Amino acid sequence: MDFASGEAIVGQMIRRFIRAVGLKIAQTIGMPIKDFRSGRSLGRALVVPWRGKIHVIGLDVAVRHVAARPMFQPQKRLTYWKQEIVFTEHPPPDFVRETEKKNLS
Amino acid sequence: MKTVLNLILSHQPAAAVSKMLTHWNQCVPNESILIAYGGTKSEFDAIQHKQKFFVDDPRLRTRDHQREFQSYTRLFQAAAEFLEKQGDQFRFVHFAEYDHLPLVSDLNERQTKRLTAEGADLLAFHVHRVDGTNNPHFLYHMADDKFMSYWSGISRRAEQEVVLSMFGSGSFWNREAFCAVSAVKEPFPIYMELYLPTLAHHLGFRVRDFSEQNRFVRVLKDETRHVGQARKEGAWTLHPVKRLWDK
Repeated sequence: MDFASGEAIVGQMIRRFIRAVGLKIAQTIGMPIKDFRSGRSLGRALVVPWRGKIHVIGLDVAVRHVAARPMFQPQKRLTYWKQEIVFTEHPPPDFVRETEKKNLS
Repeated sequence: MKTVLNLILSHQPAAAVSKMLTHWNQCVPNESILIAYGGTKSEFDAIQHKQKFFVDDPRLRTRDHQREFQSYTRLFQAAAEFLEKQGDQFRFVHFAEYDHLPLVSDLNERQTKRLTAEGADLLAFHVHRVDGTNNPHFLYHMADDKFMSYWSGISRRAEQEVVLSMFGSGSFWNREAFCAVSAVKEPFPIYMELYLPTLAHHLGFRVRDFSEQNRFVRVLKDETRHVGQARKEGAWTLHPVKRLWDK
């Protein structure tokens, strides 16, 4: 049986600790994120533009099960120079049964 | 007539399974319990319960469940074979992992009533629609082009891009949906928390959430010390309770 060396275990523990501290910081000082339709709080996250992408760090997907979709916000006033990206969740799944619609075989 | 099959997945030692069964027997009839065992063969042989089967499937026995795409397909197939052998005794299937503790003596009645009231085929915890979202399991699967094309290939629904997620530790099915999902051959590894509800949905079954019970089903913190409190607050079940059988 293989065992990880003590050095590897310590390294792993340090990485986990740094990640936990980083996450705590992101969830403390990060931007409050809301569902733009309902206004419901989705928690806090750091939103960082970097190399042509937008990085979202710290949104609590594991414990609060936040499943947020980014989208451009619909605009009541037409502007060519600015658009806004917002977050929203799907409504709770409520699909009707459709087992008799077509034969899969 | 027994109507609900209680399918319990465990990998714990036989002595712990015995204690677990003693607890379960306060909530559901002993003859309604089927143990699916993912531990060692010697411990499986030592389990004193008539209705049991051994699952020797590497896709169940994962360590990093999400990254290794843990699967319940083989386990569900074995349970479906059991149902078949029992004739029409069981109309519903309640699946629970060993650490998803039942707390009320009329659990199956409550589940059946809720399923009927919702007109649902599958009830689960933390059911979300996750396509297009930051859900990490969805994003991980989206790196594979086959993932979305698979659903559109089998779907009976107009919206073929829908992907659902549920929490995997416990779920309640009607027999038709459970057997239909079990009968499908998993096309390539898909993590069960996405695979099971999404497959049920695209086969045309109605998937609903346990809503107010979600708060008693959590991911990380062990709830062994909070069983009494959860019961007082109206919990039907509680997860995760990992250390109750150690005592």
